[in-house]
Amino acid sequence: MIQFSHVTVNYGYVPGALKDINLQLRDGDFTLILGPTGSGKSTLLRLIYMDILPSGGVVKVGKWSSYRITPRQINLLRRNIGVVFQDFKLIENMSVFDNVSLPLVIEGYRRKYVKRVVNTLLDEVGLLHCGDQRASTLSLGEKQRVAIARAMTRNPFIVIADEPTGNLDREASENVLSLLQRIHGNGTSVLMATHDYELIKDTPYKRIYMENGQVLPPDRTMNIGKQRIRLLTKQE
Amino acid sequence: MKFLFVLRQTFNNLWRERTPVLATILTIFIALTILIALFELSWVLYNQLYELKRNLVVEVYLKPSVPADEAEQVREKLKAYRTIERIRYISKATAADIFEEEFGENIMDILDENPLPTSFEIRLKSSFNHPEYLSVFKKQVEAMPEVDEVHYRHSVIEKLENVTEAVVMAGIFILIILVLAMNLLIRNTIKLSVYARQRQIMIMKILGSGNLLIRMPFILEGAFEGLVGGIFSAAGLIVAHRFLASTFPLLNFPARVYQLLWINTVILGIVIGLLTSAASTGHFINKVYSKK
Ligand SMILES: Nc1ncnc2c1ncn2[C@@H]1O[C@H](COP(=O)(O)OP(=O)(O)OP(=O)(O)O)[C@@H](O)[C@H]1O
Ligand SMILES: [Mg+2]
Repeated sequence: MIQFSHVTVNYGYVPGALKDINLQLRDGDFTLILGPTGSGKSTLLRLIYMDILPSGGVVKVGKWSSYRITPRQINLLRRNIGVVFQDFKLIENMSVFDNVSLPLVIEGYRRKYVKRVVNTLLDEVGLLHCGDQRASTLSLGEKQRVAIARAMTRNPFIVIADEPTGNLDREASENVLSLLQRIHGNGTSVLMATHDYELIKDTPYKRIYMENGQVLPPDRTMNIGKQRIRLLTKQE
Repeated sequence: MKFLFVLRQTFNNLWRERTPVLATILTIFIALTILIALFELSWVLYNQLYELKRNLVVEVYLKPSVPADEAEQVREKLKAYRTIERIRYISKATAADIFEEEFGENIMDILDENPLPTSFEIRLKSSFNHPEYLSVFKKQVEAMPEVDEVHYRHSVIEKLENVTEAVVMAGIFILIILVLAMNLLIRNTIKLSVYARQRQIMIMKILGSGNLLIRMPFILEGAFEGLVGGIFSAAGLIVAHRFLASTFPLLNFPARVYQLLWINTVILGIVIGLLTSAASTGHFINKVYSKK
């Protein structure tokens, strides 16, 4: 379970990237975070893998709390979370295999085990034949699938995806979404921030609508959220 | 897998920054060679000095009028000095024998009587063979009524001592400069590598990597530079000795000293590389973190 209590975030002296966020995410849910640019979606996600710590309030992720967490514990926490980004965050001059194996190497797993896990995952995202290729040679859609495979290596309890389809075309986006849906189907929580309303408009998942560093109240989220979604989609 | 990863990263770093890495290795090589050469020079000088001091003889000449039994009393008085290692009594007759041995003529044949005084040849304990004590000792002994003169040849030792001191001081000075230069260049390659891997460092951090794993390739990079510089330097020294030993027999160290010398050269290289990179890697990585 992930819990935000009265969380505020100020970047340096710029206040109010997030203002008094109260939020609970249940294990096993697929949750969408929607909102205009600059509304604080990425900031919210970064709090979960503790890339930043809240300026006020507490973030609880599983057994860890932002209130009292050591750098070592943050590393442990991150090993239980899969992260996927708009810009993939792959190491471009490394092979696809090495990119996916990185989380396991970090934890010191043995070669044999690493090979087995990485090849299974590459197979699942349909890129087993690309293992020896450099990451830089892949298409954008393929890169994101590699990133998803990497996120899954340690069997995380949650996958956090920050605009995973932001750089992708329609087909690749749908591919990524269906991969995330499959991951969710296997019992992993998925938390996805997105701008791509078209992509998610028919999905049944819980939506969190953000604006101006705040989460809109739950009872109005659906309505207002849906209205705005329609509005924005038309504009695009 | 972790170990392999670190090694691969290390050698990737070294290869990517090969030009500055080469310059660094070259500097370490030159610096270590100069350092060891200076060390050898001081070693030789110290050895020479030690030999000279060990063989230093203080001669105490008694007045010609002093008879043999009184000479025995002087000997007793001298024996009271804790600083004396050995006393050799040279009677008038022995002195004449020595004279004959050195000059090939009997002094009695030249002069009618033996004018050579009774004397003592004294060796001081080696730690007292320095000019300050010697002059005190000379004054004290010359104050004895039976003693005519105390004589020693110390000027050579003094000169050599000055030279040795100058060499050691110059060595320390050069050492400081060289260590600074090595430091600067090693830091530079680490910096280049860390900046080239900024993105990777951030990614590994997000994936929950510990600091040690992130730093290790850079630390090993410095150690490797030191190691190779050290090996070159050791090889250079061995070759140089082959050529020099025949010309300068003083540089003919025992085999064991040789071995110690080149092993220590390599170790010194590694230690300098390792310490420098270990000390600077964290600094540069923190700079990368704070930039995000
Ligand atoms: N590193 C930073 N330093 C200063 N301000 C920041 C930083 N990151 C984000 N902000 C500010 O915090 C606010 C929230 O940013 P955030 O990136 O969370 O928004 P977002 O909803 O993810 O936007 P987008 O859809 O464009 O990704 C914005 O006003 C942004 O300018
Ligand atoms: Mg964002």
